[in-house]
Amino acid sequence: MRRSHLLGLGFMTPAILLTLALFIIPVVLTGVFSFTNMSTSTGITGGAYEINPRSIRLMKDAGLREGLIGDLEENLYKIDAAGLAQVEKDFGKKLAEEMKGAYDGQTFKDRRELVRAIKDLKSRPRSSRDLNKAADLFQKSILNVRYDDESAFLNGLGNLGITLQDGEQAELTRFAYTGWVWTTENFSNMAAMPSTYRAAFNTVLYIAFTLTFNIVFGVFLAVATFYLPSAAASTFRTIWFLPRILPHVLYVILWKWFTWDTGFLSQVLEPFGVAPRNWMMDTEINAWVSIVLINGFVGASLGMILFSSAIKAIPSSMLYASEVDGASRLQQVRYIILPQLRWPIMFTSIYQTLSLLTSFDYIYLATDGGPGSSTTVWALYAFKTALNNYGGNLQYGFGAALALVLVGIGILASVLYLRLFDFKSMNAAPRIEQ
Amino acid sequence: MTKNFKTLPVYILLSVLSLPLVIMYAYLVIDTFTVTTPGSLVPGPFTLHNWRFLWEPAKPGQASIWAATLNTFLFAGGTMLIVLMTSATAGYALSRLRMPMRSFMLAGLIMLHAFPTVTLIISVFLILQIIGLYDTLIGVILVRAALDLPLGVWIMKGFYDNVPWEIEMAGVQDGASRFTVWWRLILPQIQPGLAALGIFSFLQAWSEFILPQVLAPGANAQVLSVYMQAVVKSETQMDFTLFKTIGLFYTLPVVVIYLIFNKKLMNIYGGGTKG
Amino acid sequence: MTILSAKLRQSTAAAVLALTATAVSGAALAKDLTITVWSGGTNETESYRIENIAIAADLLEREYALRGEELNIKVEGKYDFAGWAEFKQAVTLAAEAGTAPNIVVSSHLDLAPWSQAGLIVPIEDYVDLDAWPLNDIYENLIDITSYNGQVVGLPQDAESRPFFFWRETYKKIGYTDEQLDELPAKIQSGEYTLKNVFEDAKKAVDMEIVEKGYGFYPRPSNGPDYAQFYQSFGGTLMDKDSGKLVLDKKAMTEFYQFFVDCVNAGLTRKNHLGTDWNQWYNEVATGKAATWHGGTWHYARYTGKEGLSDFFGNIQFSLIPAGNAEGHANTITQPLAYMITKQNDEEAVEVAAQLVKIASEPRLNSYHAIKSSHLGISRQQSNVEFYANDRWAAEATERLLPFANAQPNHLKYGQFSELMYKGLETAWTGTKSAEDAVAEVEVEMKAALGDDLIVR
Repeated sequence: MRRSHLLGLGFMTPAILLTLALFIIPVVLTGVFSFTNMSTSTGITGGAYEINPRSIRLMKDAGLREGLIGDLEENLYKIDAAGLAQVEKDFGKKLAEEMKGAYDGQTFKDRRELVRAIKDLKSRPRSSRDLNKAADLFQKSILNVRYDDESAFLNGLGNLGITLQDGEQAELTRFAYTGWVWTTENFSNMAAMPSTYRAAFNTVLYIAFTLTFNIVFGVFLAVATFYLPSAAASTFRTIWFLPRILPHVLYVILWKWFTWDTGFLSQVLEPFGVAPRNWMMDTEINAWVSIVLINGFVGASLGMILFSSAIKAIPSSMLYASEVDGASRLQQVRYIILPQLRWPIMFTSIYQTLSLLTSFDYIYLATDGGPGSSTTVWALYAFKTALNNYGGNLQYGFGAALALVLVGIGILASVLYLRLFDFKSMNAAPRIEQ
Repeated sequence: MTKNFKTLPVYILLSVLSLPLVIMYAYLVIDTFTVTTPGSLVPGPFTLHNWRFLWEPAKPGQASIWAATLNTFLFAGGTMLIVLMTSATAGYALSRLRMPMRSFMLAGLIMLHAFPTVTLIISVFLILQIIGLYDTLIGVILVRAALDLPLGVWIMKGFYDNVPWEIEMAGVQDGASRFTVWWRLILPQIQPGLAALGIFSFLQAWSEFILPQVLAPGANAQVLSVYMQAVVKSETQMDFTLFKTIGLFYTLPVVVIYLIFNKKLMNIYGGGTKG
Repeated sequence: MTILSAKLRQSTAAAVLALTATAVSGAALAKDLTITVWSGGTNETESYRIENIAIAADLLEREYALRGEELNIKVEGKYDFAGWAEFKQAVTLAAEAGTAPNIVVSSHLDLAPWSQAGLIVPIEDYVDLDAWPLNDIYENLIDITSYNGQVVGLPQDAESRPFFFWRETYKKIGYTDEQLDELPAKIQSGEYTLKNVFEDAKKAVDMEIVEKGYGFYPRPSNGPDYAQFYQSFGGTLMDKDSGKLVLDKKAMTEFYQFFVDCVNAGLTRKNHLGTDWNQWYNEVATGKAATWHGGTWHYARYTGKEGLSDFFGNIQFSLIPAGNAEGHANTITQPLAYMITKQNDEEAVEVAAQLVKIASEPRLNSYHAIKSSHLGISRQQSNVEFYANDRWAAEATERLLPFANAQPNHLKYGQFSELMYKGLETAWTGTKSAEDAVAEVEVEMKAALGDDLIVR
């Protein structure tokens, strides 16, 4: 490889590393996760092996051999030689001997009963933890015992002395495993659930309305401020740019204050006989208008800036000429300014479509997808499914499947983007060889 | 220019449309310094009572506002540095240096913008956890910086593209290495771009909410957005005046930065589309 | 001079001796532990969830000191999470990352998924349930914090979710004080049902005693409260024998339909869900609503921040009335639980368990109960004067707690309850009819719960 190549790659390395770690690998992982049933209860990094009342119920449902289930279900504590030997090792000879003397051969129906018995002994362990540990040495079942890996589980199973028939070991391991397993159910569920379609519909609605508002209003602001003296123009531009600067949390609070039923709008309208109400959350339509305005007031400023600089680039002679010809302002805007804005508008539309598709901060903070789920867009739906819901059993797998759909749409859209903006021209070759 | 048209209608129209924002800004400031009475928009007498959270000790179980402020500065500053460093080098490489797969990387950069990092957050979490950066400021800084990276590189490339080749060629002919040329001759040329990108990423990180909330929920890494949202959602004190006061405190640094550097910041929107 | 030098030598020797002593004992015994406590859904009034752990730490340090061991416990609490969702997210991810707080205070419903995932460990391994104060805790509460036959967590508080009536409004529609006093008994026996609530609330609205939309003023957000209405109409949440969750379509439809009827008759606002909590508290505490339902801890809010000085003179409370013949009057209690997370440092886990145990002492728990208007967890609290002298705690305990049931600790109950609420919202806001909403819920539940669901 040539030296200049090395320099180039060296210069790219930090960016490539960051991109790899926080864009590429996450996308790959999301692809992997979307084919699992990963959730809070399965854990992310893998599970353990445990026979418990729940897995026993599932085994019964699956029709496993009744005798086997009965053996597994039985939870007995029996004082035997093996257990006593272990007690001697862990807690000393005295306790072992005293236990042997008092309870040898006896069985206890659960740990609590055995612990009570041990507590009667003189040389009992003094902490509850140790009492329980001592009692556990006599457990004659693996009920509720958590094994970290499969071999330990099979070992425990083997020690029980249950004879397993063909294939039963594999079945048991499967039911005992608490971690995630591969599945394609996320996608079939996605197709079956009405909420998916609602989220998709909401997303289309959200992008269409917000984008239209952004562009129309951005153009309006750019054109309007263009006709003002520069001091006034920059004042207005500052007013409209500030929402982009304000922290999201504060910006949404200002809107809430403005629209809340104890807020500004309600107070101003009250003397006119309008009953106070929550203008943000009152109906679905209120919520939608709020969402579009909250996002639009931020989004419009991007258009405003880009379009303003495009308008500034129009030769002033052209404008003067049109005025001499007697064009009205509207005509001037229509025939001279707007055509100049074609490419910036195109750029802004595509850029913001992608941004809107994946962002949900303002919706999350303002309506949280409500009322009902009427303003829940796809990205928010994915976020809530995977990480943020009242129920608390986070569905990582299903959430990843939802996110994967967004990735797919995003890639398609950006391919379109590259086609539209003649990619080759951006890609001029370097002129220095070394 | 265009003196032939009346400006009054434009003024009126713009003012009416800007009214909601102006009212929000005005009451943001007024309410925090006055006694507010529910149901009244007329400001009461002056008070600093609303600002008490600044000097009262934090309640047990709550983070201190000053610690959160320091964290926010570290978060925004750290993000800015990383974005600047990675974008300045990568932008230069893409604009001026020969290397394999250059055009693939350029296209990939645009593609990255479409990857919804926020919805990929579970995987991002897993990666941070593996490298031991979950619940740390550094972790969130890296994620935030990665988010800004595609745009940053793109903008830097735009600025580099506008630097005349002659400067570089002259440097190379004088016997300097490409690295020296970049460091000594080219970087000073794109200072406006660096300033714009720096301010931009600082402001972005300052407002960021979801990333720190998910990736650094612990008390040690709490930033102001998370602090404020916790106060807002706390059921017993839905008190817009308090929220606004915290919010004003939170937003003051960035508004000041914006008002001072706003000309410099605007360069970013010039550079971005030229490329 | 010699005396001085001798003294110097002496004191040096003493100092050296003291130093070595502390060094030796320090190495052998002194131990510093930081115990972190994260508490969900907690406001300032519930700060004793954390403070009690700090008090317990002080007591435990003394116990260690008396045994000749030096233990320094630093308790770090955190409750300023934005909400339940954010809290659970933080706990889950922190636990996955191995940086979980030592003690978590959360709903008992989280016991199932969290212990299945191994994020929390059964507290019964670390404490003696036969010893004070744990043997004094109500058995039914212990059952609620058990999963898979093990006592996984310990109840932190108890509460229940009653139905409330504004006395003044009811008197205006023709009730006497005596009739109102008898109302809770009538509700308990099934004589006064949700049908009567509907009629009386309608009267209040039609007679313009309360505004339209304020006849029946439910909780404005998701919560266990709505499962109560499902039970009122004869629904069961879990089938005891098979351990599966139950979607009773008839009960669910009638439950949704009740709310739809209330909306259509103008008793409840169509856009009610999502009402700001602060507004909601203020309205119900000032008599704007004829009937509503809430939680026992609302008492603190009504009489505190909202300034309702005479609670008992203004408000009557009862079980949630029955909805139809299959259902019965009921109330749900959703105790929060102290849970101990899995840690590498086994000693820290044990100390955390000890702290939780001590924090469950009747006196300490009463601090929490009184400050936050929750109900106590153990019998002896009625002998703690401070608790027993509180009229609300006494009456609410007697009238509600004996009839309270809890939602099932089931791995997928969280999803079940989310979907049930989503369906209610769809019907309530008029997006779909009650029947169609239930049909949609059925599809989604079948997909999300699979084998864990029985549809009736």
